[in-house]
Amino acid sequence: MKATLSISRFNPITDCAGYLKDYQLTLEPHETVLDALFKAWELDPGLSFRRSCRSSICGSCAMAIQGRPRLACQTLASELTGEGGAIVLGPLPGFRRIKDLVVDLDPFFEALKGVIPWLLTRPDHNGLVDPQEAHRVESPATCILCAICDAGIDPGGGVSPAALVKNTRLAMDPRDVLGADRLKFTGLTGDGLKSFRELLAGICPKKIELPGPAPE
Amino acid sequence: MIIHDIVIVGGGLAGLMAAVEAAPGADVAVVSKIYPTRSHSGAAQGGFNSAMSHDDSVESHIFDTVKGSDYLGDQDAIEILCSDGPEVIRQLEMMGVPWSRTPDGRVAQRSLGGAGFPRACYAADFAGHVVLHTLYEQALKAGVRIYPEWYLIDLLVENEMLAGLLTWRLDTGQTEVIRCKSLILATGGYGRIFQKTTNGHANTGDGMALAYRAGAVLADMEFVQFHPTTLYGTNILISEAARGEGGYLRNSSGERFMSGYAPQKMELAPRDVVSRSIFQEIKEGRGINGVYIHLDLTHLGPEKIAGRLPQVQELARRYAAVDPAAAPVPIEPAQHYSMGGIRTSLDGETNIRGLLAAGEAANVSVHGANRLGGNSLLETVVFGRRAGRKAAEIVSGTDLPAPPQASLESARERWQANFGSSRPLAGGDSCFVIRRELNRIMTGKVGVFRTGSEVAEAVTDLAELRRRYEALRVSTREAPFNYELTEHLEVGYLLDLSRLTAEAALRRTESRGAHFRLDYPARDDVNWLNHTLIKKGDQGPVYEAGKVSAGRYLPQERGY
Repeated sequence: MKATLSISRFNPITDCAGYLKDYQLTLEPHETVLDALFKAWELDPGLSFRRSCRSSICGSCAMAIQGRPRLACQTLASELTGEGGAIVLGPLPGFRRIKDLVVDLDPFFEALKGVIPWLLTRPDHNGLVDPQEAHRVESPATCILCAICDAGIDPGGGVSPAALVKNTRLAMDPRDVLGADRLKFTGLTGDGLKSFRELLAGICPKKIELPGPAPE
Repeated sequence: MIIHDIVIVGGGLAGLMAAVEAAPGADVAVVSKIYPTRSHSGAAQGGFNSAMSHDDSVESHIFDTVKGSDYLGDQDAIEILCSDGPEVIRQLEMMGVPWSRTPDGRVAQRSLGGAGFPRACYAADFAGHVVLHTLYEQALKAGVRIYPEWYLIDLLVENEMLAGLLTWRLDTGQTEVIRCKSLILATGGYGRIFQKTTNGHANTGDGMALAYRAGAVLADMEFVQFHPTTLYGTNILISEAARGEGGYLRNSSGERFMSGYAPQKMELAPRDVVSRSIFQEIKEGRGINGVYIHLDLTHLGPEKIAGRLPQVQELARRYAAVDPAAAPVPIEPAQHYSMGGIRTSLDGETNIRGLLAAGEAANVSVHGANRLGGNSLLETVVFGRRAGRKAAEIVSGTDLPAPPQASLESARERWQANFGSSRPLAGGDSCFVIRRELNRIMTGKVGVFRTGSEVAEAVTDLAELRRRYEALRVSTREAPFNYELTEHLEVGYLLDLSRLTAEAALRRTESRGAHFRLDYPARDDVNWLNHTLIKKGDQGPVYEAGKVSAGRYLPQERGY
C-alpha cells in the first residue's frame, strides 16, 4: 500500500513556524501510524516523535492524526488512507511544541497535582475490598496518562481532564479517606461532570468510562 | 552540577519501588529516558506471584521457582523473593493498587506457567500497568525528584567507587553531571537486540551496557526468555494469563500438542518448554500456514474474556484483526525477558561501591536459566525495595564522594566522539541498517534453538557490525529531541550486549532452561551448574564460572 505521510515539522533552532513535509512510503496492511513514522524517520533521521511500547499501554505517541488527538500506535494506517489522501500528523494540540511532533508535557504532569493524586489510605483498611466496588475502579485505572483528553476537552472548573479521571478513580476507591469528598476538588457541578464523562467517552483511547455518582 | 543523595536510573517498577522506599530518609531523584509512566513495566499483564492462599505455601513457591530456573537460580535470593512476597503485596494494597478481588474481597490470584498453585495477584490483565501508576503516585507523594527524558550517558567511577553520572537532557540536548552517594540502575532489559521481541522501543539495555563498560560484573547473559504467545508478525505480548484462564494451544490439525511435550502441565508448562514445543511443531510441519500456532480462547466464552482478559482481547482485535472470543489467535514465540544482567548481592549491590541494580537490569539471581511467569513483577518490587533500603543505609552518615574528575574527563571525550562526519565502511551504512542486521543475526542464530557453529558465525558477524558502527557519527549535537543520537547510543549498547549474549551462549556447552544447544541437548550439572560471570578486560570480555547458591533443593530431572 502506497501512502503519503504529511508531517508537521518545526525545529526551534532554525524555524520561524511549523511547515508540512511529505514522505512517500510503502506500508503493509496491518501497519500503524507509528510504524509509518519509523519509516519516515529512516528517510529523515532528524524527525522527532515520542514512542515506546507500540501496544497502546504507555501513552507516549499521542499526536494529532488527521487533526484529531490519537495514539499513533493504536491507529492503523489503512483506516486513514481509504480516501487516497495523505495521513496528516501534527503535535498534540493545546501544548507548547518543542520540536516536530514533540510537545512540552511538563504542564500535563504538573496539572495532576491539582487533585491529591494518590490514595489517602484509611488507617483501618483491613486489606479486603468488595469485588463490585473494585470493579468500578477498573476502567478509570486503565488511564495511561497520554494527555489526549487534555488536548481535546476543556471540562471547565479548572482541573485538567486527566486529573479529573485520577480524582474520580480515587474517589470511588473504598480505601480512600476522602472518598466522595474528592468530588469537591473538581470545581464542577453534577451536570458538568456528566458532560465531561460523555466527552471523555468520545476521545479516550482506552475507552475509559467514568461511572456516575455512587448510589446514596 | 546537580547533587542528590541517591539517583535511581529508570522509572519502571523496580526504580519507583526503590525510590519510594528510600525517599523518607534521603534526597532521591529518578532519572529516566522516558516519563516513568511510559516504562515497559506497564506492558506486563499477568500478575505478581505471592503465596497467600491457605492451601499454597512460600515453600511451594520456592520449589517451583528453583525447578523453573533449571536449578541455576540462587536459592538464598529465591527464598527472599518468595518469603517477602506476601508482605510486599500487602504494602502495594495499602498504597492503593486496584487489584481484582475474590468474592470475599481478597486479592484475586490466577495460575501462570510452572506454578503449583494459582498465586499470581492480578488486576484483570493490567497488573504491571496499575502497579506502575500506583508507584508513580507514591513517588509524587514522597517528593521524589523526577528528571524525565534525561538519558544516562556514563557512570562516573573513581577508584572503584561511584561518584556520579553524566546525563543528557533530551529537551535541550545538553549534558548535565549529577553527583550522588549512591546510584541504583533499574533500566530494564535489552530485548531490542532481537528482531522478534515483545519489548518496547526503549528496552535497549542502556544500564547493563554502561555498567559493564564501567567495570561492573554481568552474569548469565546467554539466558534469554522467549515468550510462547506473541501476536504473529507484530510480536505484541499476549499474556500467559490467557492460558492461565484456560486457553489452549493448537496446531494445524487443531490438536492440543502440549500433551506430547508436557502431559501434566500442558499449556501451563514453563515458557522455555512451551516456546520450544511451538517451534518443534512448526518445524515438523504442523504450523498453521507453516509459520504460526493458534491460541484458542473461544471456549472461555465472551464474558470471561471481556472480564479477565480485556487487554488481550483489545490487542488481538486491533493488531491481529481477530476477536479471541470468536476465533483462535495466531501466535509465535518472541524474545520477552533477560534473565541475565548486572550481578548483585541480595541487597542489590554490585562490585562497584555505591552502584546498585534491581529488576530486569539486575541478576541476583532469582530466575536462573528460566523465569516463571509472575516472578519478574514480584522481583521488581521485592528487590527494588531492598535496593532502596540498602541505598538509604549507604547514604546516611556518609559524605558525598569527591567530585568526579578523571572519569568525567574520559566520559566527556567519549561523548564528543559520537559527533562528526561518518565515514561508512559499507555504502549506505547507518545505525538503522546496523540495527536491522544485528536483529536478524540474533533472532536467526542466537534464538530458541542454538548450535555452536551458528552462534560462532553470529559472534564473527557481530564483530564486523561493530567495526562498521565505529565508523559512524551523529551530525547534529545540542539539538532538542535528537533521536538520531538516541539511535546511535542505543545501537552501541545493543552491539555490546549482543556480543556478550552470543559469546556466553557459545561458551556454555549444555542445555539448561532457556538456553538450548542442539549440539549439546542435555543439562550438564557436573560442568555447568554455575553462573557465567562477565567482566570487561583489556582485550574484551573475560568469562568465568560463578558459584550457584544452593540450598535445600538439589538438581533433579525437570519434567512437567
